[in-house]
Amino acid sequence: MSLHRTSRKYHKWLMLFVGVQFVIWSISGAYMVILDIDYIHGDSLVVKKPVSLKSDSINYALTQLYIDYPQAENIELTTLLGKIVYRFSTNQILDSGTDKVEYLLSADNGELLSPVTEAYAVKIAKSQYENAHVAIRQVRLITENPPFELSARHLPVWRIDFDDFASPSFYISVQTGKLVTKRHSFWRLFDWMFSFHVMDFIEEDASNKLLLVFACLSLLASIFGIILTYFRLFNQRGNTGKNKHKQKVRKVK
Amino acid sequence: MKLIKFLHKWLSLLVALQVLIWLGSGLFFNLMDHNKARGNTYRAQVDNNIAILPASLLAPKTVLQQQDKPVNSLKLISLLSQPYYLLNHKESLYPHFYNQHSLINAFTGEVKIIDNVFVQALAKATYSGNGEIKSVEKLMPPIADFLKEKNQLWQVNFADELNTSVYFDVGSGRLIGHCNDDKRFVDFFFMLHFMDYGSLGGFNHWQTIFFALITLLFSMTGFIWTMELLKNGRYKIR
Repeated sequence: MSLHRTSRKYHKWLMLFVGVQFVIWSISGAYMVILDIDYIHGDSLVVKKPVSLKSDSINYALTQLYIDYPQAENIELTTLLGKIVYRFSTNQILDSGTDKVEYLLSADNGELLSPVTEAYAVKIAKSQYENAHVAIRQVRLITENPPFELSARHLPVWRIDFDDFASPSFYISVQTGKLVTKRHSFWRLFDWMFSFHVMDFIEEDASNKLLLVFACLSLLASIFGIILTYFRLFNQRGNTGKNKHKQKVRKVK
Repeated sequence: MKLIKFLHKWLSLLVALQVLIWLGSGLFFNLMDHNKARGNTYRAQVDNNIAILPASLLAPKTVLQQQDKPVNSLKLISLLSQPYYLLNHKESLYPHFYNQHSLINAFTGEVKIIDNVFVQALAKATYSGNGEIKSVEKLMPPIADFLKEKNQLWQVNFADELNTSVYFDVGSGRLIGHCNDDKRFVDFFFMLHFMDYGSLGGFNHWQTIFFALITLLFSMTGFIWTMELLKNGRYKIR
Protein backbone atom coordinates (compact mmCIF):
# COMPACT_ATOMS: atom_id res chain seq x y z
CA MET A 1 0.00 0.00 0.00
CA SER A 2 1.40 3.42 -0.92
CA LEU A 3 2.08 6.08 1.72
CA HIS A 4 -0.81 8.05 0.29
CA ARG A 5 -3.31 5.23 0.66
CA THR A 6 -2.02 4.23 4.12
CA SER A 7 -2.35 7.81 5.31
CA ARG A 8 -5.85 8.09 3.95
CA LYS A 9 -6.90 4.88 5.63
CA TYR A 10 -5.48 5.81 9.04
CA HIS A 11 -6.61 9.42 8.90
CA LYS A 12 -10.12 8.25 8.11
CA TRP A 13 -10.25 5.61 10.85
CA LEU A 14 -8.48 7.56 13.59
CA MET A 15 -10.63 10.61 13.01
CA LEU A 16 -13.73 8.47 13.39
CA PHE A 17 -12.69 8.02 17.02
CA VAL A 18 -11.06 11.36 17.91
CA GLY A 19 -12.87 13.65 15.46
CA VAL A 20 -15.56 14.63 17.94
CA GLN A 21 -12.89 15.67 20.44
CA PHE A 22 -11.24 17.74 17.69
CA VAL A 23 -14.51 19.61 17.26
CA ILE A 24 -14.80 20.03 21.06
CA TRP A 25 -11.21 21.32 21.23
CA SER A 26 -11.83 23.87 18.51
CA ILE A 27 -15.13 25.09 19.94
CA SER A 28 -13.85 25.38 23.52
CA GLY A 29 -10.52 26.82 22.37
CA ALA A 30 -12.24 29.43 20.22
CA TYR A 31 -14.57 30.39 23.09
CA MET A 32 -11.67 30.81 25.50
CA VAL A 33 -9.53 32.96 23.19
CA ILE A 34 -12.33 35.12 21.79
CA LEU A 35 -13.82 36.25 25.11
CA ASP A 36 -11.51 38.64 26.91
CA ILE A 37 -10.15 36.95 30.03
CA ASP A 38 -10.58 40.05 32.22
CA TYR A 39 -14.23 40.19 31.21
CA ILE A 40 -14.55 36.47 31.97
CA HIS A 41 -13.07 37.07 35.41
CA GLY A 42 -15.82 39.60 36.07
CA ASP A 43 -13.37 42.47 36.54
CA SER A 44 -15.79 44.86 34.85
CA LEU A 45 -18.48 44.01 37.43
CA VAL A 46 -16.46 45.41 40.32
CA VAL A 47 -15.89 49.04 41.15
CA LYS A 48 -13.05 49.97 43.45
CA LYS A 49 -13.62 53.37 44.93
CA PRO A 50 -10.53 54.36 46.86
CA VAL A 51 -11.41 55.61 50.33
CA SER A 52 -8.54 57.13 52.25
CA LEU A 53 -8.05 56.45 55.94
CA LYS A 54 -8.69 59.39 58.25
CA SER A 55 -6.50 59.27 61.30
CA ASP A 56 -9.02 61.12 63.51
CA SER A 57 -11.62 58.39 63.04
CA ILE A 58 -9.39 55.79 64.75
CA ASN A 59 -10.75 55.85 68.28
CA TYR A 60 -9.96 52.22 69.02
CA ALA A 61 -6.16 51.92 69.13
CA LEU A 62 -4.03 49.03 67.96
CA THR A 63 -2.72 48.58 71.53
CA GLN A 64 -6.31 48.09 72.68
CA LEU A 65 -6.85 45.51 69.95
CA TYR A 66 -3.83 43.57 71.23
CA ILE A 67 -5.27 43.66 74.74
CA ASP A 68 -8.68 42.41 73.57
CA TYR A 69 -7.27 39.89 71.07
CA PRO A 70 -3.75 38.94 72.19
CA GLN A 71 -3.46 36.27 69.47
CA ALA A 72 -4.16 38.74 66.62
CA GLU A 73 -2.07 38.32 63.47
CA ASN A 74 -2.07 39.81 59.97
CA ILE A 75 -3.62 43.03 61.21
CA GLU A 76 -4.86 45.45 58.58
CA LEU A 77 -6.50 48.84 58.92
CA THR A 78 -8.77 49.62 56.01
CA THR A 79 -12.26 50.84 55.13
CA LEU A 80 -15.51 49.04 54.52
CA LEU A 81 -18.64 50.91 53.40
CA GLY A 82 -16.87 54.15 54.20
CA LYS A 83 -16.15 53.14 57.81
CA ILE A 84 -12.70 52.51 59.19
CA VAL A 85 -12.18 48.86 60.20
CA TYR A 86 -9.55 46.40 61.39
CA ARG A 87 -9.19 43.00 59.81
CA PHE A 88 -7.08 40.35 61.53
CA SER A 89 -6.85 36.63 62.11
CA THR A 90 -6.10 34.26 64.95
CA ASN A 91 -4.99 30.66 64.90
CA GLN A 92 -7.29 28.58 67.03
CA ILE A 93 -5.97 25.24 68.15
CA LEU A 94 -8.56 22.52 67.77
CA ASP A 95 -8.38 18.75 68.09
CA SER A 96 -8.24 18.49 64.30
CA GLY A 97 -5.34 20.94 63.99
CA THR A 98 -5.13 24.71 63.84
CA ASP A 99 -7.92 26.71 62.33
CA LYS A 100 -7.53 30.27 61.09
CA VAL A 101 -10.37 32.51 62.22
CA GLU A 102 -10.72 35.99 60.75
CA TYR A 103 -12.28 39.04 62.35
CA LEU A 104 -13.73 42.34 61.26
CA LEU A 105 -13.76 45.08 63.86
CA SER A 106 -14.78 48.72 63.88
CA ALA A 107 -11.72 50.93 64.36
CA ASP A 108 -14.01 53.68 65.58
CA ASN A 109 -15.39 51.90 68.66
CA GLY A 110 -13.99 48.37 68.64
CA GLU A 111 -17.36 46.82 67.90
CA LEU A 112 -17.09 43.32 66.40
CA LEU A 113 -18.65 43.38 62.91
CA SER A 114 -18.03 39.73 62.07
CA PRO A 115 -19.66 37.33 61.44
CA VAL A 116 -21.19 39.49 58.73
CA THR A 117 -25.00 39.51 58.75
CA GLU A 118 -27.12 39.05 55.64
CA ALA A 119 -28.13 42.71 55.44
CA TYR A 120 -24.51 43.84 55.88
CA ALA A 121 -23.28 41.42 53.19
CA VAL A 122 -25.89 42.70 50.73
CA LYS A 123 -24.81 46.29 51.42
CA ILE A 124 -21.14 45.38 50.84
CA ALA A 125 -21.95 43.52 47.62
CA LYS A 126 -24.07 46.38 46.26
CA SER A 127 -21.42 48.97 47.10
CA GLN A 128 -18.83 47.07 45.02
CA TYR A 129 -21.12 46.25 42.09
CA GLU A 130 -20.77 48.39 38.98
CA ASN A 131 -24.44 49.37 39.07
CA ALA A 132 -25.42 50.64 42.52
CA HIS A 133 -29.15 50.37 41.74
CA VAL A 134 -29.06 46.70 40.85
CA ALA A 135 -31.80 44.45 42.25
CA ILE A 136 -30.94 41.37 44.29
CA ARG A 137 -32.46 38.10 43.13
CA GLN A 138 -31.38 35.81 45.92
CA VAL A 139 -29.11 35.68 48.97
CA ARG A 140 -27.85 32.40 50.39
CA LEU A 141 -25.52 31.46 53.21
CA ILE A 142 -23.09 28.72 52.19
CA THR A 143 -21.33 26.96 55.06
CA GLU A 144 -20.55 23.58 53.50
CA ASN A 145 -20.60 21.74 50.15
CA PRO A 146 -19.53 24.75 48.09
CA PRO A 147 -20.71 24.88 44.47
CA PHE A 148 -18.23 23.96 41.70
CA GLU A 149 -17.30 27.62 41.21
CA LEU A 150 -16.31 28.32 44.82
CA SER A 151 -13.16 27.13 46.58
CA ALA A 152 -13.84 25.50 49.97
CA ARG A 153 -11.18 27.68 51.64
CA HIS A 154 -13.49 30.71 51.29
CA LEU A 155 -16.25 29.18 53.43
CA PRO A 156 -18.45 30.34 55.05
CA VAL A 157 -19.73 32.89 52.54
CA TRP A 158 -22.83 34.83 51.53
CA ARG A 159 -23.76 34.26 47.91
CA ILE A 160 -25.51 37.31 46.47
CA ASP A 161 -27.17 36.81 43.08
CA PHE A 162 -27.90 40.00 41.17
CA ASP A 163 -30.86 40.41 38.89
CA ASP A 164 -28.77 41.55 35.94
CA PHE A 165 -27.35 40.51 32.57
CA ALA A 166 -25.53 37.11 32.67
CA SER A 167 -26.72 36.28 36.24
CA PRO A 168 -23.79 37.69 38.20
CA SER A 169 -23.06 36.44 41.73
CA PHE A 170 -20.80 37.95 44.37
CA TYR A 171 -19.43 35.83 47.20
CA ILE A 172 -18.89 37.81 50.41
CA SER A 173 -16.87 36.22 53.21
CA VAL A 174 -18.82 35.89 56.46
CA GLN A 175 -15.62 36.34 58.50
CA THR A 176 -14.05 39.31 56.72
CA GLY A 177 -16.77 40.97 54.64
CA LYS A 178 -14.38 40.71 51.68
CA LEU A 179 -15.51 40.00 48.14
CA VAL A 180 -13.76 36.63 47.82
CA THR A 181 -14.89 35.74 44.33
CA LYS A 182 -17.46 36.50 41.67
CA ARG A 183 -19.07 34.65 38.80
CA HIS A 184 -21.36 35.28 35.84
CA SER A 185 -22.76 33.02 33.12
CA PHE A 186 -19.87 33.55 30.72
CA TRP A 187 -17.33 32.58 33.39
CA ARG A 188 -19.41 29.52 34.35
CA LEU A 189 -19.48 28.53 30.68
CA PHE A 190 -15.73 29.18 30.45
CA ASP A 191 -15.17 26.70 33.31
CA TRP A 192 -17.17 24.11 31.39
CA MET A 193 -15.26 24.81 28.20
CA PHE A 194 -12.00 24.33 30.06
CA SER A 195 -13.21 21.01 31.48
CA PHE A 196 -14.08 19.80 27.99
CA HIS A 197 -10.79 21.15 26.62
CA VAL A 198 -8.68 19.13 29.09
CA MET A 199 -11.18 16.25 29.16
CA ASP A 200 -11.50 16.31 32.93
CA PHE A 201 -14.92 17.10 34.31
CA ILE A 202 -14.13 16.75 37.99
CA GLU A 203 -10.82 18.39 38.85
CA GLU A 204 -10.06 20.31 35.64
CA ASP A 205 -6.70 18.55 35.69
CA ALA A 206 -4.81 18.41 32.40
CA SER A 207 -2.75 15.36 33.40
CA ASN A 208 -5.44 12.70 33.03
CA LYS A 209 -5.09 9.44 31.09
CA LEU A 210 -8.09 10.05 28.82
CA LEU A 211 -6.50 13.23 27.50
CA LEU A 212 -3.19 11.41 27.02
CA VAL A 213 -4.81 8.75 24.82
CA PHE A 214 -6.76 11.30 22.80
CA ALA A 215 -3.77 13.63 22.38
CA CYS A 216 -1.54 10.79 21.13
CA LEU A 217 -4.13 9.44 18.70
CA SER A 218 -4.92 12.96 17.49
CA LEU A 219 -1.27 13.70 16.90
CA LEU A 220 -0.97 10.53 14.87
CA ALA A 221 -4.16 11.29 12.91
CA SER A 222 -2.89 14.82 12.18
CA ILE A 223 0.45 13.60 10.89
CA PHE A 224 -1.40 11.31 8.46
CA GLY A 225 -3.56 14.31 7.61
CA ILE A 226 -0.52 16.42 6.76
CA ILE A 227 0.77 13.65 4.45
CA LEU A 228 -2.63 13.71 2.76
CA THR A 229 -2.45 17.49 2.38
CA TYR A 230 0.86 17.06 0.62
CA PHE A 231 -0.44 14.43 -1.82
CA ARG A 232 -3.77 16.11 -2.50
CA LEU A 233 -2.48 19.63 -3.01
CA PHE A 234 1.05 19.32 -4.30
CA ASN A 235 1.54 15.86 -5.70
CA GLN A 236 -1.57 15.05 -7.64
CA ARG A 237 0.29 12.32 -9.53
CA GLY A 238 1.03 10.39 -6.32
CA ASN A 239 -1.46 7.70 -7.23
CA THR A 240 -4.59 7.49 -5.15
CA GLY A 241 -6.92 4.57 -5.43
CA LYS A 242 -9.42 6.83 -7.17
CA ASN A 243 -6.92 7.95 -9.82
CA LYS A 244 -5.79 4.39 -10.44
CA HIS A 245 -9.40 3.44 -10.92
CA LYS A 246 -9.91 6.29 -13.40
CA GLN A 247 -6.78 5.27 -15.30
CA LYS A 248 -8.04 1.70 -15.52
CA VAL A 249 -11.37 2.89 -16.80
CA ARG A 250 -9.64 4.94 -19.48
CA LYS A 251 -7.56 1.97 -20.55
CA VAL A 252 -10.64 -0.20 -20.89
CA LYS A 253 -12.23 2.45 -23.08
CA MET B 1 -19.99 18.40 -0.20
CA LYS B 2 -17.49 19.50 -2.83
CA LEU B 3 -17.05 22.81 -1.02
CA ILE B 4 -16.60 21.02 2.32
CA LYS B 5 -13.85 18.85 0.87
CA PHE B 6 -12.22 21.80 -0.88
CA LEU B 7 -12.23 23.85 2.34
CA HIS B 8 -10.92 20.97 4.43
CA LYS B 9 -7.98 20.37 2.09
CA TRP B 10 -6.92 23.98 1.72
CA LEU B 11 -7.55 24.95 5.37
CA SER B 12 -5.40 22.00 6.41
CA LEU B 13 -2.50 23.67 4.66
CA LEU B 14 -3.08 26.88 6.59
CA VAL B 15 -3.46 25.40 10.06
CA ALA B 16 -1.27 22.28 9.78
CA LEU B 17 1.76 23.59 11.66
CA GLN B 18 -0.25 25.28 14.40
CA VAL B 19 -2.44 22.20 14.95
CA LEU B 20 0.71 20.12 15.39
CA ILE B 21 2.02 22.72 17.85
CA TRP B 22 -1.29 22.68 19.76
CA LEU B 23 -1.35 18.90 19.98
CA GLY B 24 2.34 18.63 20.82
CA SER B 25 2.24 21.29 23.53
CA GLY B 26 -1.06 19.88 24.82
CA LEU B 27 0.59 16.48 25.14
CA PHE B 28 3.48 18.15 26.96
CA PHE B 29 1.10 19.72 29.54
CA ASN B 30 -0.45 16.31 30.01
CA LEU B 31 2.88 14.63 30.71
CA MET B 32 4.92 17.36 32.42
CA ASP B 33 6.00 17.28 36.04
CA HIS B 34 3.58 19.70 37.68
CA ASN B 35 5.79 20.27 40.70
CA LYS B 36 8.79 21.26 38.61
CA ALA B 37 6.57 23.50 36.49
CA ARG B 38 5.93 25.76 39.48
CA GLY B 39 9.55 26.91 39.63
CA ASN B 40 9.63 26.45 43.41
CA THR B 41 12.37 23.82 43.62
CA TYR B 42 14.50 26.00 45.90
CA ARG B 43 11.74 27.88 47.64
CA ALA B 44 11.94 27.92 51.41
CA GLN B 45 8.98 28.54 53.67
CA VAL B 46 9.27 31.86 55.45
CA ASP B 47 7.60 32.22 58.81
CA ASN B 48 6.46 35.81 58.85
CA ASN B 49 4.79 35.70 62.21
CA ILE B 50 7.00 37.30 64.78
CA ALA B 51 6.38 37.97 68.42
CA ILE B 52 6.11 41.72 68.92
CA LEU B 53 5.56 43.82 71.96
CA PRO B 54 2.48 45.80 70.96
CA ALA B 55 3.42 48.61 73.33
CA SER B 56 6.60 49.33 71.36
CA LEU B 57 4.75 49.72 68.07
CA LEU B 58 4.10 53.15 66.70
CA ALA B 59 0.35 53.88 66.68
CA PRO B 60 -1.21 53.66 63.19
CA LYS B 61 -2.84 57.02 63.93
CA THR B 62 0.59 58.66 64.24
CA VAL B 63 1.83 56.98 61.06
CA LEU B 64 -1.18 58.23 59.10
CA GLN B 65 -0.77 61.77 60.41
CA GLN B 66 2.76 61.86 58.98
CA GLN B 67 1.63 60.94 55.47
CA ASP B 68 1.23 63.48 52.68
CA LYS B 69 -0.31 61.04 50.22
CA PRO B 70 -3.75 59.49 50.82
CA VAL B 71 -3.60 56.00 52.35
CA ASN B 72 -6.21 53.37 51.45
CA SER B 73 -5.03 50.70 53.84
CA LEU B 74 -2.37 50.07 56.45
CA LYS B 75 -1.10 46.57 57.11
CA LEU B 76 1.25 45.34 59.82
CA ILE B 77 3.72 43.02 58.13
CA SER B 78 7.16 41.69 58.88
CA LEU B 79 10.21 41.55 56.66
CA LEU B 80 13.26 39.70 58.00
CA SER B 81 11.74 39.60 61.51
CA GLN B 82 11.26 43.35 61.60
CA PRO B 83 7.74 44.81 61.73
CA TYR B 84 6.71 47.37 59.11
CA TYR B 85 3.54 49.19 58.25
CA LEU B 86 2.71 48.64 54.60
CA LEU B 87 0.72 51.61 53.30
CA ASN B 88 -1.29 51.39 50.12
CA HIS B 89 -1.61 54.66 48.19
CA LYS B 90 -3.17 53.29 45.04
CA GLU B 91 -5.19 50.11 45.16
CA SER B 92 -6.19 47.94 42.20
CA LEU B 93 -8.46 44.95 41.92
CA TYR B 94 -5.55 42.49 42.19
CA PRO B 95 -2.04 42.72 43.65
CA HIS B 96 -0.47 42.07 40.24
CA PHE B 97 -2.24 45.11 38.73
CA TYR B 98 -0.63 48.49 39.26
CA ASN B 99 -0.48 49.35 42.97
CA GLN B 100 1.44 51.98 44.90
CA HIS B 101 2.91 51.25 48.33
CA SER B 102 5.27 52.60 50.92
CA LEU B 103 6.84 50.90 53.92
CA ILE B 104 7.28 52.45 57.36
CA ASN B 105 9.38 50.97 60.15
CA ALA B 106 6.75 50.12 62.79
CA PHE B 107 9.06 51.04 65.68
CA THR B 108 10.74 54.21 64.45
CA GLY B 109 8.43 55.54 61.73
CA GLU B 110 11.30 55.71 59.25
CA VAL B 111 10.51 55.18 55.60
CA LYS B 112 11.92 51.87 54.39
CA ILE B 113 13.06 51.65 50.79
CA ILE B 114 13.57 48.14 49.39
CA ASP B 115 17.04 48.63 47.95
CA ASN B 116 19.56 46.41 46.22
CA VAL B 117 21.10 45.26 49.53
CA PHE B 118 17.86 44.64 51.43
CA VAL B 119 16.28 42.70 48.59
CA GLN B 120 19.26 40.31 48.56
CA ALA B 121 18.63 39.47 52.22
CA LEU B 122 14.90 39.02 51.48
CA ALA B 123 15.72 36.69 48.58
CA LYS B 124 18.16 34.59 50.62
CA ALA B 125 15.49 34.02 53.27
CA THR B 126 13.19 32.44 50.66
CA TYR B 127 15.93 30.36 49.01
CA SER B 128 16.92 26.83 50.03
CA GLY B 129 19.44 26.05 47.26
CA ASN B 130 23.24 26.22 47.35
CA GLY B 131 23.78 28.98 44.81
CA GLU B 132 25.21 32.40 45.60
CA ILE B 133 23.59 35.60 44.36
CA LYS B 134 25.16 36.49 41.03
CA SER B 135 23.18 39.59 40.07
CA VAL B 136 20.34 41.87 41.16
CA GLU B 137 18.26 43.94 38.78
CA LYS B 138 15.34 46.32 39.01
CA LEU B 139 12.95 45.59 36.15
CA MET B 140 10.07 47.47 34.60
CA PRO B 141 7.09 45.43 33.32
CA PRO B 142 6.65 43.48 31.10
CA ILE B 143 8.86 40.98 32.88
CA ALA B 144 9.46 37.73 30.98
CA ASP B 145 9.16 35.38 33.97
CA PHE B 146 5.99 37.05 35.35
CA LEU B 147 4.21 38.57 32.38
CA LYS B 148 1.04 39.37 34.32
CA GLU B 149 2.82 41.66 36.77
CA LYS B 150 2.20 45.33 36.16
CA ASN B 151 4.48 46.56 38.96
CA GLN B 152 8.19 47.28 39.04
CA LEU B 153 10.05 44.23 40.38
CA TRP B 154 13.44 43.35 41.86
CA GLN B 155 14.99 40.30 40.25
CA VAL B 156 17.57 38.44 42.36
CA ASN B 157 19.48 35.84 40.35
CA PHE B 158 21.14 32.84 42.00
CA ALA B 159 24.03 30.91 40.48
CA ASP B 160 22.60 27.39 40.59
CA GLU B 161 22.04 24.69 37.97
CA LEU B 162 18.40 25.82 37.49
CA ASN B 163 19.22 29.54 37.18
CA THR B 164 16.76 30.39 39.93
CA SER B 165 15.46 33.97 39.98
CA VAL B 166 13.51 35.39 42.91
CA TYR B 167 11.19 38.36 42.37
CA PHE B 168 9.99 41.03 44.79
CA ASP B 169 7.68 43.99 44.37
CA VAL B 170 9.83 47.13 44.61
CA GLY B 171 7.20 49.15 46.48
CA SER B 172 5.99 46.64 49.06
CA GLY B 173 8.74 44.01 49.31
CA ARG B 174 6.10 41.37 48.59
CA LEU B 175 7.50 38.09 47.26
CA ILE B 176 6.15 37.65 43.74
CA GLY B 177 7.65 34.22 43.30
CA HIS B 178 10.48 32.01 42.23
CA CYS B 179 11.27 31.13 38.66
CA ASN B 180 13.81 28.71 37.21
CA ASP B 181 14.71 26.98 33.94
CA ASP B 182 12.11 24.24 34.52
CA LYS B 183 9.34 26.83 34.73
CA ARG B 184 10.75 28.80 31.79
CA PHE B 185 10.67 25.59 29.73
CA VAL B 186 6.98 25.10 30.59
CA ASP B 187 6.26 28.79 29.92
CA PHE B 188 7.75 28.33 26.45
CA PHE B 189 5.16 25.63 25.73
CA PHE B 190 2.37 27.85 27.04
CA MET B 191 3.62 30.58 24.71
CA LEU B 192 3.34 28.10 21.82
CA HIS B 193 -0.08 26.79 22.89
CA PHE B 194 -1.52 30.30 23.31
CA MET B 195 0.22 31.55 20.13
CA ASP B 196 1.55 34.29 22.39
CA TYR B 197 4.44 34.96 20.01
CA GLY B 198 4.69 38.58 21.10
CA SER B 199 5.05 37.35 24.72
CA LEU B 200 2.24 39.49 26.08
CA GLY B 201 1.22 36.89 28.64
CA GLY B 202 -2.25 35.95 27.44
CA PHE B 203 -4.32 34.30 24.74
CA ASN B 204 -6.73 37.02 23.60
CA HIS B 205 -4.69 38.08 20.54
CA TRP B 206 -5.90 38.55 16.99
CA GLN B 207 -3.59 35.81 15.65
CA THR B 208 -4.92 33.28 18.19
CA ILE B 209 -8.53 34.28 17.51
CA PHE B 210 -7.99 34.11 13.74
CA PHE B 211 -6.41 30.66 13.91
CA ALA B 212 -9.02 29.45 16.41
CA LEU B 213 -11.82 30.38 13.99
CA ILE B 214 -10.05 28.86 10.97
CA THR B 215 -9.43 25.68 12.98
CA LEU B 216 -13.07 25.58 14.04
CA LEU B 217 -14.10 25.71 10.39
CA PHE B 218 -11.44 23.13 9.56
CA SER B 219 -12.61 20.64 12.22
CA MET B 220 -16.28 21.16 11.33
CA THR B 221 -15.61 20.41 7.64
CA GLY B 222 -13.65 17.33 8.69
CA PHE B 223 -16.51 16.25 10.91
CA ILE B 224 -19.06 16.66 8.11
CA TRP B 225 -16.77 14.74 5.75
CA THR B 226 -16.52 11.88 8.27
CA MET B 227 -20.31 11.81 8.61
CA GLU B 228 -20.58 11.67 4.82
CA LEU B 229 -18.15 8.73 4.69
CA LEU B 230 -20.16 6.92 7.35
CA LYS B 231 -23.39 7.54 5.48
CA ASN B 232 -21.88 6.24 2.24
CA GLY B 233 -20.72 3.06 3.93
CA ARG B 234 -17.05 3.89 3.53
CA TYR B 235 -16.20 2.59 7.00
CA LYS B 236 -16.05 -1.11 6.31
CA ILE B 237 -14.05 -3.63 8.30
CA ARG B 238 -12.72 -6.09 5.80
